Amino acid sequence: MSLKHEIRFRLNGVEQRTSVDVGLSALQLLRDVIGLPGTKYGCGEGECGACTILVDGASVNACLLFAVDCGGRELTTIEGLAGDPRAQALRQAFVAHGAVQCGFCTPGMVVQATHLLAVEPKPDAASAKRAIEGNLCRCTGYQKIVDAIVDAGARLADTTAGDKQ
Amino acid sequence: MMNAVERYLAPTTLAQALAALATPGGATVLAGGTDLMPQANAGRVKAASTLLNIRRVQGLSAVALDGNALVIGTLATLATLQHDALVRAQAPLLVDAIDHFASDQIRNAATLGGNLCNASPAGDTLTPLLALDAQVELARLTDDGSIATRRLPLADFFIAPGRTRREPHELLTAVRVPLRGTGQIARFHKAGTRPALDISTISIALAAQRDDQGCLHDVRLALGAVAPTPVRAHRAEALLEGRRLDAALAAQAAQAAADEATPIDDVRATAWYRRELVNNLTRRMLDDVTQA
Amino acid sequence: MSALLTPPAASGSLIGQRIPKMDAPDKASGRTRYIHDIDLPGQLHAAILRSSRVHARILRIDTTAARALPGVHAVLTAADVPDQQPIGVAKDHLPLKRDRVRSVRDEIAAVAAETEAIARQALTLIEVEYEDLPVLADARDALAPGAPLIHPEPHGADPAKPGLKPGMPIAFAGKPDNIAMRFDYTHGDVAQGEAESDVVVEDSFSLHYVTHCCMGVSGVIAEFDARGNLLLYSNTQVPFLHKREFAEIFRMDPGRIRIIQPPIGGGFGSKLDIYPFEIISVYLARATGRPVKLLFNREEEFLASPTRQPVLLTLRSGCKRDGTLTFRSVRTLHDNGAYTSWGATTPFVMMQTFSSLYRVPHCDYHTLAVYTNNPYAGSFRGYGNLQATFAVEAHMDQMAEAIGMDPLAFRQKNAQLQGEVSGQGMVFRSCGFQDCLTSAAERSDFAHRHAEYAAQRNAPGAIKKGIGIASMLHVGGGAKIYPSDGCGTILKLDDFGHVTLITGASEIGQGSETVLSQLVCEELGLPMSAVTVVNNDTDITPWDVGVHASRTTFIAGNSAIGAARKARDKIFAAAAPRFDCAADDLALRDGHIVRRASGEPLIEIARFLRSLHFSDRAELVMTTFYYEPPSVHQDKGFKGDVSAAYAWAAQVVEVEVDTDTGVVRMLKVTGAHDVGRVLNRLGIEGQIEGGIVMGQGYALTENLLVENGNIRNPNFRDYKLVTAPEIPEMDIAFIESMDGEGPQGAKGVGEAPAICIAAATANAIYNATGVRITSLPFTPERVYRALHGVLPPVPPVPPIVERPA
Repeated sequence: MSLKHEIRFRLNGVEQRTSVDVGLSALQLLRDVIGLPGTKYGCGEGECGACTILVDGASVNACLLFAVDCGGRELTTIEGLAGDPRAQALRQAFVAHGAVQCGFCTPGMVVQATHLLAVEPKPDAASAKRAIEGNLCRCTGYQKIVDAIVDAGARLADTTAGDKQ
Repeated sequence: MMNAVERYLAPTTLAQALAALATPGGATVLAGGTDLMPQANAGRVKAASTLLNIRRVQGLSAVALDGNALVIGTLATLATLQHDALVRAQAPLLVDAIDHFASDQIRNAATLGGNLCNASPAGDTLTPLLALDAQVELARLTDDGSIATRRLPLADFFIAPGRTRREPHELLTAVRVPLRGTGQIARFHKAGTRPALDISTISIALAAQRDDQGCLHDVRLALGAVAPTPVRAHRAEALLEGRRLDAALAAQAAQAAADEATPIDDVRATAWYRRELVNNLTRRMLDDVTQA
Repeated sequence: MSALLTPPAASGSLIGQRIPKMDAPDKASGRTRYIHDIDLPGQLHAAILRSSRVHARILRIDTTAARALPGVHAVLTAADVPDQQPIGVAKDHLPLKRDRVRSVRDEIAAVAAETEAIARQALTLIEVEYEDLPVLADARDALAPGAPLIHPEPHGADPAKPGLKPGMPIAFAGKPDNIAMRFDYTHGDVAQGEAESDVVVEDSFSLHYVTHCCMGVSGVIAEFDARGNLLLYSNTQVPFLHKREFAEIFRMDPGRIRIIQPPIGGGFGSKLDIYPFEIISVYLARATGRPVKLLFNREEEFLASPTRQPVLLTLRSGCKRDGTLTFRSVRTLHDNGAYTSWGATTPFVMMQTFSSLYRVPHCDYHTLAVYTNNPYAGSFRGYGNLQATFAVEAHMDQMAEAIGMDPLAFRQKNAQLQGEVSGQGMVFRSCGFQDCLTSAAERSDFAHRHAEYAAQRNAPGAIKKGIGIASMLHVGGGAKIYPSDGCGTILKLDDFGHVTLITGASEIGQGSETVLSQLVCEELGLPMSAVTVVNNDTDITPWDVGVHASRTTFIAGNSAIGAARKARDKIFAAAAPRFDCAADDLALRDGHIVRRASGEPLIEIARFLRSLHFSDRAELVMTTFYYEPPSVHQDKGFKGDVSAAYAWAAQVVEVEVDTDTGVVRMLKVTGAHDVGRVLNRLGIEGQIEGGIVMGQGYALTENLLVENGNIRNPNFRDYKLVTAPEIPEMDIAFIESMDGEGPQGAKGVGEAPAICIAAATANAIYNATGVRITSLPFTPERVYRALHGVLPPVPPVPPIVERPA
């Protein structure tokens, strides 16, 4: 029987309190305990990025994060980015550019790209490729994902610039 | 695996963390989790009865100058170090290596101390820190409850894959990198097809001072993934020490480095190929320095 | 008409447009529910105990402790399912192993429990006693005297039912050797061909194990209802074949089996066979009376999924001094693994390439698939064509060089033209082969760079650039290997002009639902937003043979068009008298019935449909159509026009080789694809780009290391998929040869882009370095060894004894 520990944390803007096994990963916490299926299990070892979430604003692999270490932290999953303007721009760009085929890698890609746009608002293709080097895709060959990220960044930057005028 | 854990602690002070380490049964240390989680899942960790999460301990993530050393707190994440102005200015070799480390997601969570204590012979930060003459600072609780520290050269810190000279009751608290003056040369190369997300086939880190006559001093040539721990190629260094680089010397030193390496065959590459890489890439690195 | 001319689409036409995938918004927001995300009330979780030995007798299995673990509902071994039937292509594969394990993926026991954690913990409590048997790990040893026999016992194949597929050889029960399957093909007379040759080259090639690595791992959910009907949530690519096979396996009426297909996390051919884990889950559901869900973890996905067929290949090719090809003589040895899956049938496709890629007057091909204790291979995008093309295109370059002919000109001399019939009887009704070669070569500056890089081979500097060309031929209009190669559609128009398109064709991420909707909207003059697609429930959808052979756009597309045209005809027949004209005078545009000649709108389609419904006639517009392509089954000599259309592509790969490390960087891929017609430009680009990168992985980075029957790298850390920073620049052109039978002229393209990348890369590496490497993948170490002359050559395939008449 595994030791349980109670944690309190913020998930997608909502306070959570739950008791978790010390060996549980944040991925298992999100999917199996809380029941949010948008974050995907791809490998469980941090090699594929399908489980990418934001923790305190930075992107991490949920499969490598101990659930008990979520205490006091702020987690955001793909579901929590529904209203985020960067994520919105990215989703629209992903759809428009044909960057989605089977879609299994897509939530992880969108979360990772959202983080990229927060730290580098107008990435070029090379930057975008390095940013998603930890996100594997088997269907698209990445090109359209990169196009979508660059396009979303450019559009957001134009909008911001326009707002400033 | 984690079924053996009977107690979970997430202290906020170093003293509390050290006290937990000192109790009978010891503790398994958790920081970023990027090594502990996959190892626990694979059953490669015999967890102690206490899981000690040190990530909330105050004062262990700072980057600062202390006299003539750059001091990096053990909990500094690799992503933070990648962008830190002090690190970029004083230890660009480390930044180079971090740029080739895993992925953005892992860099955001992984800590420098964790990477060092994991002691993989292919660890990406180990090779450059070895070339930079880094020291580790280890803290422990004394009998009267105060905190004592000792320093070890990184070269003495690694014993074998996964094993270091950190005592079970000690915590690695900081890494100290001596500051270099002007004329510093630094090069890092990690072999492979990917820029990152790759366990090194081999990695090479070179640091040296070049004087006004173009001679090299304090040459440090560190190799990763060619021995049970990251190692310095001492004979190659000796060949280069005090000399002016040219193509012939570069080739000679590269061959010496290859001869000193003791790689193994594994799923990633054969020993023969690793030696060839050490030879060719060291030579290329030195040729690049010659022309710089 | 030049095939390069794109026929102008009518204004407002959807054909050739960039149409976003219909399910993309849900997928991009994380809303899509894959099988991993589906939980049924009361469900149990299953886990499978796999063999820890490569080849052994099972002496004893003790499940007592596992059964006693709290939360465990059932533990099954072969002893608990005495009625189990062997499955797979050759019916040599018992789901739960009884007396013997033959590979490390062999399923020995299975547990259903309250949680996955309990199920996996229960596995650790199962004791198995083995008696090791000698391991057969090399296909070359399989036929040696004294080789361990992998299937010495009769394995339940019913001699009264020789095979499910016409003309396909099956393994015989109880045969005293390790031969699982053999194929023999001939057209012409290779002895004559060789006699006419001025140049003959012979080489042996080794094609390696790779695996699909779908991002979503395998899974299934099985549930029996109160009347004993079986519901399966399955990611199968062949739901109707599955349904029939499950019925046979469980001795049920097929009508009582329903398969629902949740959105799939990748297919690529991995889900074309029946696998033990599916059968076992049904047994657990039966035993527990509860829904049972089974998901692989990633390690299990690597260990237990079918691989691409590894091939040892010896090719002998000849040509005349003037560049005319004379003959190809091929023999291959296929490691069948412990059980037979679709990998053993890759020769069907390989012989198409050997016999018909370029004009070859004489060809023979003999192959054996032999049992070993290695993992078995299945079907994987390209289905043997990557392997065959790798050899054929190597020899095209080698022969060109031997006669001093430009490699492009040599290919163009032998590339078939529209209307030709190949040696295997394939009729090339639409054929853009020549244009593919020309387009790819011109846009990549091939001729100039090829010469320049060759001249630089011995220049100083460790970095060498190279450029190589290869082409491919694949079926583009289905493949008539089953009794039917057809697909059914049901179409319903409602009172609001909304269309429900019910198709048998599965969506596996390739965008079929979007292309089918596009074709229907084009016929009915409706916007894409007017269509809902239903394609994932065998209780509702009409029969389709499945997603394979790049057939879906062609066959499901024609089926959808057929149903749409019937609907359109029905509307015109009812509208003509109302508007006092002939049905032929009407058209559907922009949601209206219009006069065809003038475009004058007459009435909104939706309004007209309501008037049809709410009238004395009271008629709804609902139509059905089943499309069977006009292809034929091959005869016993494998000859015949097996597809309704064929597709070509030429790819030029430009590389940079670091001779100090052996690292090969793929700089650019310039492709020209004969696709008949571009339907969804966005979708087809995505397919091609994805296929190119899959081909890049096959060529450069992916390698499933199988040693003595063990898989050494069952994880993404050591099995290297291509990552984003490694992709080449991709420049793709489409050759629109306007196939007469294809929907709007289109042909299939799903597999094509992966097929000739490795072949072109091999030619590029040769161009850069003067070294020809005949084994894959071109990892840095392999290339480095080859450059230094220390890569062992591939030994020739042993002669294959002619089958007695």
